[in-house]
Amino acid sequence: MEIESLSQPSLNTQLRALLMIARKDWKVFWRYPLNALSQVMHPIIWITPIYFMGKAFSTNGQALGFAAYSGTSDYMSFILLGTILNNFIMTVFWGMGYALKNDMDAGVLESNWLMPVSRLLILVGRTLTSLLTTAITSLFMFVIAATLFGFRPTGNTFAAFLTALPMLLGLYGFGFAFAGIVLLMREANTLVDVSSFLVQGLSGSNFPVQSLPSWLIPVALALPLTYGLDAVRGWLLQTQTILPLRVEIGLLIVFMFVMLWFGSWVFFRIERRVRTLGTLGQH
Amino acid sequence: METSLVPQSLGQPGLGSDLRAFLAVVRREWRIFTRYPSWIIALFIWPLIFPMMYILTARALSGPDGSGLAIFMETTGAKDFIGYIVIGTTVWMWQNIVLWDVGFSLRNEQMRGTLESNWLSPTWRFSYLLGHTGPQIVSMLMFIIVTGLEFGLLFGVRLNGSVWMILLMMLAAIPSIYGLGFAFASLVITVKEANAFVFLIRGIVMIFCGITFPISLLPGWMQSVAKWLPQTYLIHGMRAAAFSNAGIKELAPDLIPLLLFGTFWLVIGYSTFVWMERRARRTGAIGQY
Repeated sequence: MEIESLSQPSLNTQLRALLMIARKDWKVFWRYPLNALSQVMHPIIWITPIYFMGKAFSTNGQALGFAAYSGTSDYMSFILLGTILNNFIMTVFWGMGYALKNDMDAGVLESNWLMPVSRLLILVGRTLTSLLTTAITSLFMFVIAATLFGFRPTGNTFAAFLTALPMLLGLYGFGFAFAGIVLLMREANTLVDVSSFLVQGLSGSNFPVQSLPSWLIPVALALPLTYGLDAVRGWLLQTQTILPLRVEIGLLIVFMFVMLWFGSWVFFRIERRVRTLGTLGQH
Repeated sequence: METSLVPQSLGQPGLGSDLRAFLAVVRREWRIFTRYPSWIIALFIWPLIFPMMYILTARALSGPDGSGLAIFMETTGAKDFIGYIVIGTTVWMWQNIVLWDVGFSLRNEQMRGTLESNWLSPTWRFSYLLGHTGPQIVSMLMFIIVTGLEFGLLFGVRLNGSVWMILLMMLAAIPSIYGLGFAFASLVITVKEANAFVFLIRGIVMIFCGITFPISLLPGWMQSVAKWLPQTYLIHGMRAAAFSNAGIKELAPDLIPLLLFGTFWLVIGYSTFVWMERRARRTGAIGQY
């Protein structure tokens, strides 16, 4: 006797599942409006100590030490731009790995896994709403922070946006691999916190990587995000870039393809192992 | 003939049973803490990487020739900018961890569905919170020792002051930091989704208490707010104890407000717990989530 599945997966059903996941997350997000407020305020709170610390390093409002590394003494525009990009980087990290952890805790991961929907699609679906809400909250955050601390872009906004796209798509690859690790390790908070904090920090979200100690510079240069942040700043703030802009954009495009392939490979390998172990329903 | 049935509890509460309940909570929390290997990461990596972000930004602000650093030292009076930042960020992390651990202890029980059944046991209910606090203080002490060792060994941060004075400052801070945690834990049971409140409280500490800068750089109104926050005195006192060889006399202007705030927050913490307990019994909100 042949076992036949009753499901009829097609492009339409996959897209419907994707939209349903996004709609559910949208509903959950706005059910707790304080979370939206905290997403706006949180990055501002984190950069405020840097604003005042920068004053302690400046004379007549000019951070000349910072300018020697980055090519601009406007350290707050530099950091604010890094913070906004970070919001999106975090969304991809958290959006997938942490969503899986939440599903595990709520006890719905195993049943979701039984659906006739591509598992990568389930992961991508979990980031759709968070990317949209991040865009909305980042816009509000930007307006408030720019009013408080000042933001003076002098370059090409559209080129900066186009440069950020391959970086974000490549991050999905990171996110897939990371989601796999979460499936295996189960306790995700510390893992997500530490790794995203390290990657963000070493890729120079708050400072030019040229200022890192010499033994950390190779680590920073090995992270594709470093070139993404650097290139976006190069376009928008006309800072000194590590490599010529064309080379950095080329690297980001290569990174995008490599990471998407590698991340999904890692995810499927781990997912298979977790299914073999039968630990999908445990937390 | 009239009969009346007076329900009689089988529980025999007393000091001994309360103590046993407290120790059982301590033991359980310690077991949960050590069961997930990620605590090793939390203990060894967080003390290093959180301050590192500010330290590396400070390095960038210093410039390749260190000209910015000279201005910072002149402004703050600090000789070691790494030590200066590490003390501020460690105090912030302490308060942050207490808010998540102690502040969410009852809420986590509620999410697991065990709070209501625990509540029915004939024990002193405040011991649930105190039981969480014991292992938390031990793990926090380990955290601070690891911070000192890591920055001492890797970055050459050296104490010029007395370890005893640093410990004294920390002891004086325990009532205010944990009192705030108790009050928070009780409120979380009522408002449920309270992540935003943690972000708010730790954000206030981050902005106003001078974790990476002297509060004299803040505008006047912000300095007035800072004076009402115990963490401001803790950071200032810890820096003085660690790097300026300050004794009790020099630390008194920080110690006295810390102890006063501590008394205030312990009273608030306990009163909020009692209020929450009564309210929860009346509304039946303990089992809801």
